[in-house]
Amino acid sequence: MFSPTASSRAAAADGAAKPQRVVSLNLCADELALRLADPGVVKSVTWLAQDPRNANLAEEAAALPANDGHAEEALAYDPDLVLVGPFTDPASIALLRQVGAPVVEVGAPQTLDGVRRQIRDLAAALGEPRRGEALIANMEARLARVAVDPSRSRLKAVVLRPNGFTVGPGSLVDEILTRAGLDNLAARLDIAADEQVPLEVVALLGADLLILDRDGSAAPSLADAALDHPAIAALARRMTVTSLPARLWTCGGPEIAEAVERLAAAATAARARPATQ
Amino acid sequence: MSARAQGVEVGYAPLVAALAALTLVAALASLTVGYARLDVAAALADAFAGRSTVAALVFEQIRLPRAALGAMVGFSLGLAGAALQGLLRNPLADPGVIGVSGGAAFGAVAVFYSGLAGVFALAMPLGGVAGAIVAALLLYGLAGRGAGTMTLILAGVTINSFAGALTALALNLSPNPYAAYEIMFWLMGSLADRSLPQLWLAAPLTVVGWALLLSSAPALDALSLGEDTAASLGFDLGRLRAQLVAGAALAVGAAVAVTGAIGFVGLVAPHLLRPFVGHRPGRLLLVSGLAGAIVLLAADVAVRLIPVHPELKLGVATALIGAPLLYGLIDRMRKEA
Repeated sequence: MFSPTASSRAAAADGAAKPQRVVSLNLCADELALRLADPGVVKSVTWLAQDPRNANLAEEAAALPANDGHAEEALAYDPDLVLVGPFTDPASIALLRQVGAPVVEVGAPQTLDGVRRQIRDLAAALGEPRRGEALIANMEARLARVAVDPSRSRLKAVVLRPNGFTVGPGSLVDEILTRAGLDNLAARLDIAADEQVPLEVVALLGADLLILDRDGSAAPSLADAALDHPAIAALARRMTVTSLPARLWTCGGPEIAEAVERLAAAATAARARPATQ
Repeated sequence: MSARAQGVEVGYAPLVAALAALTLVAALASLTVGYARLDVAAALADAFAGRSTVAALVFEQIRLPRAALGAMVGFSLGLAGAALQGLLRNPLADPGVIGVSGGAAFGAVAVFYSGLAGVFALAMPLGGVAGAIVAALLLYGLAGRGAGTMTLILAGVTINSFAGALTALALNLSPNPYAAYEIMFWLMGSLADRSLPQLWLAAPLTVVGWALLLSSAPALDALSLGEDTAASLGFDLGRLRAQLVAGAALAVGAAVAVTGAIGFVGLVAPHLLRPFVGHRPGRLLLVSGLAGAIVLLAADVAVRLIPVHPELKLGVATALIGAPLLYGLIDRMRKEA
């Protein structure tokens, strides 16, 4: 998941030699780097990070030149650290390594522990270990404030993402739900961490809370249109339907604390709702 | 084909009745088969009693539009296939093979991803119809009026690949990150999680298309005797062509805008029924439409029963049946030539 090269480890060990020209080729790496590095160190981020509808730091990102995630674009900045993601083209990574650019891969953590480790590792690569610890501590504090009463039965919830994907056990979102005091109903289906599920299955699961993952994108797509199916509007009369913007849980970054807070609030609202039939 | 012209002795009315009954059975199967266990009888009772249970909701909002769209789109494809084959006097003239479906998919894609579909409700099916008309006119320009099979197929290949490329381009230009991955739906088609409003949007244009196609039956029968004979019998061939192109574009365009392009149905349905109607293209229309509905409903039941997730696109299922048939057809035409 995370493979710092020899040179970036050396940079991390020697605080004086912090990387000065960092280029990120992945949305999740963009945001972590912007949170952790000194201003001016990050030279370029992806175009995705500049869209306020699916990015958390769009304003900061918009001030920087955008890239499309290609190795060639990164090399134009003569980088001393290039951040890539799990879906960056392997050929791009190979090319970067070939020309000697230090590459660090930011993964997609599937647990809260993985989120902490990721922040810590990237902070080390950027030579900012203290900022990393502060970011983690802030996230922990927010998570700790979401008190879940262990004596109450958990509300049953199911997640519906664009294209009819839901989130199964063993995923970060599953852990986010648990943290918010919810019971992920999709764990009872025989599915992997992230899988497409027919709408009728979702409707008949018997959830108390239906969580829609919306990015608020202005441009239409069939994937998003799947969340506008009239059956969902009809379900809203029988259960609580809440939307959670994709930017809060697409990347395993510190913003997941906000996702947990919002879901816990939605659960409280769902409990307050009078039972139907 | 002359060797098979005798056909099978079946009365026309019993044939239509039998196919209609089979369509009904297939539609019921489509309502019953699904991913979640649903007591259809109880859901139906709830729906009629006005009780808004989740079962009734799933039945009305998910199962019903899926089955109704399956029947409607299948009928459109089977009927349009039979009509185009009569017009071009070529058994390979399927809306998918000759590029009409591909054109419709591009029209619908251009309207949907540009955001125009949000401006007025009918924009999307009308986009599909416009794309289908352009493709049909292009085809007619390239291969109309007694052109050989080779020209027809080459024209179809050209229009299909161009429309497919334009569809990919339109999807790539969309700023929505999901759009680029949706080409599968538009090129292969699916009935998964379609909705009632989509059915109501496509239905009016579809019905007008059906009326135009079905009412051309006598002229098509006359045309099978040759253009001169048809003209001497008093049929205006220019008008017939316009009527058939408009009818096929309306039916196929509205269908593709809702379900994506589903291939081979317009090829399989007329082929299966041709021997039963004495090879008369006029009589083939209605029965071919019904056979198309049966084929598509059956394919849609099959993709839900095959344990593959996410479910197969409908075009995959119809191609698995249709491609060998197309191959056989071409092989036979080559031997007869």
